[in-house]
Amino acid sequence: MSALRNLFTQRASTGLSLHRLTSALYSTNASAGSTVVTQNVASPAANVAAVEKDKLFSKLEIELRGVDPAVLKSYAWFATTAASHLNIETGKCWAERKPYHDRLTLLKSVHIYKKHRVQYEVRTYFRYLNFHKLTGSTLDTFLEYIERNLPEGVALNATKTEIQEIPEHLRQPPNEI
Amino acid sequence: MSLLTRLLERNLRNSGAGARRLYSNHAEEESSATKHEFADEEFRVLNLRSTSQATQQKRKVFKKEPVQPPRHQKMATDQDWSAVWPGPRTFQPSVVPLPLRQGYTEKGAPPPSKFANAELMKIPNFLHLTPPAIRQQCEALKKFCTPWPKGLETLENCEKRFPIEIKSTDYCHALPTIRNPEARRVTLNIKLSDLKFDAHAKDKFLRLVGDRYNPNTGILTIVADRCPLRKQNYDYAMYLLTACYHESFVTESWESSKSEADMEYYSFERNKSKQSAEAIINWGQPVEEAKKLNADHGFAQSVEQLINEGENVYNLGKYKEEVLKLLNISK
Repeated sequence: MSALRNLFTQRASTGLSLHRLTSALYSTNASAGSTVVTQNVASPAANVAAVEKDKLFSKLEIELRGVDPAVLKSYAWFATTAASHLNIETGKCWAERKPYHDRLTLLKSVHIYKKHRVQYEVRTYFRYLNFHKLTGSTLDTFLEYIERNLPEGVALNATKTEIQEIPEHLRQPPNEI
Repeated sequence: MSLLTRLLERNLRNSGAGARRLYSNHAEEESSATKHEFADEEFRVLNLRSTSQATQQKRKVFKKEPVQPPRHQKMATDQDWSAVWPGPRTFQPSVVPLPLRQGYTEKGAPPPSKFANAELMKIPNFLHLTPPAIRQQCEALKKFCTPWPKGLETLENCEKRFPIEIKSTDYCHALPTIRNPEARRVTLNIKLSDLKFDAHAKDKFLRLVGDRYNPNTGILTIVADRCPLRKQNYDYAMYLLTACYHESFVTESWESSKSEADMEYYSFERNKSKQSAEAIINWGQPVEEAKKLNADHGFAQSVEQLINEGENVYNLGKYKEEVLKLLNISK
């Protein structure tokens, strides 16, 4: 078990550099049967810190919640246009037909008059955007650009699906018992 | 400068020097008035009452700044709009050159114009994100992006080379705090076919993992939520996977006491069904080891299939055929 622990901490301690450099790329040989991954680590002269590998994200799912459906529509149009400029593959983008009504029914008067009430509601509209095949630097750049231009009254949830290789210690069945 | 002279004038007026000559840059009428008095060369009588009236009259006539016409009238059609509206701003009707109208009016009346229109000012506008502005900004951002590596265009390639999926969520809400407790949750997905197991290890791994494995899709899902940071939760999820994988290859001493009730699959050889079938076939005959008839292989297979895979039309049909064959009942 201690061997496992060592493996675990070793893995955790790599890649802690805060300054993310975007120059590292995965490039794969497209020839048949070849599974060797060659990593082109082109470190510019200015960067002395260890070059962090660029992550790969198969999917970016964005959920937008807002009070105004027209604003959500405009924002979705802006996001998809920006994605097309940055060569990001855009997946399915759709909106819920009906909003979620959050209603409050309160007494109209301070004292008695139970039969007379007043109702308030907040309507939340939903919209979903999907983007596929982004590298780590592209995703960070795109997401930051999108989030900085988020209008008032709109909330954003971004679910990122990162894809990784199987780590060394799980590729082969363990020899020692 | 003019403000100071204006204040000075006011003070002088209050002190009672009404007809006194005032030096000011902008009050040309007043200077012309004073010039008039000097030209007559009469004795200037000090009249305190008239000065208040004069000051009041003079006060009423205060110079308004000339109101410039709205800026949008001077805009060229081919101007750089991103320079005019560089960032998110409240709607300003004098700057936006569009003839917008918004609002509800009674029947017959036109909608209210853009000047002093609260409805247009309330809503967030996207005038700072016009297509040329987006293009410009994306051109500037392109140097921070990297292209998707070649050879990973298809989903199958991605899954084959990178079988592990890590899901995490970022939240961007307009709250007093930027923190969200849900953001630390990490989900790890892996297809078990990408990990190498032997029979015992596979069985033990599935028992260790329990509900996290979906037999229909073959995907193992580990959700890590217990640590305060996302990085810690990711490390914990990887640790769980590694620990279960390594542990499943270890055979403990108590595993030898696994009985038929613990078995995860049904085997015809070990069960009562074989004994019952053979008892039926060998009915009435003397018990001799050599002449004992065994149940058909096909029958064994059909029973196993029925119990392991569940009851469906095909399995039941096959079982029926095998039973008929076993009992020598021709159709």
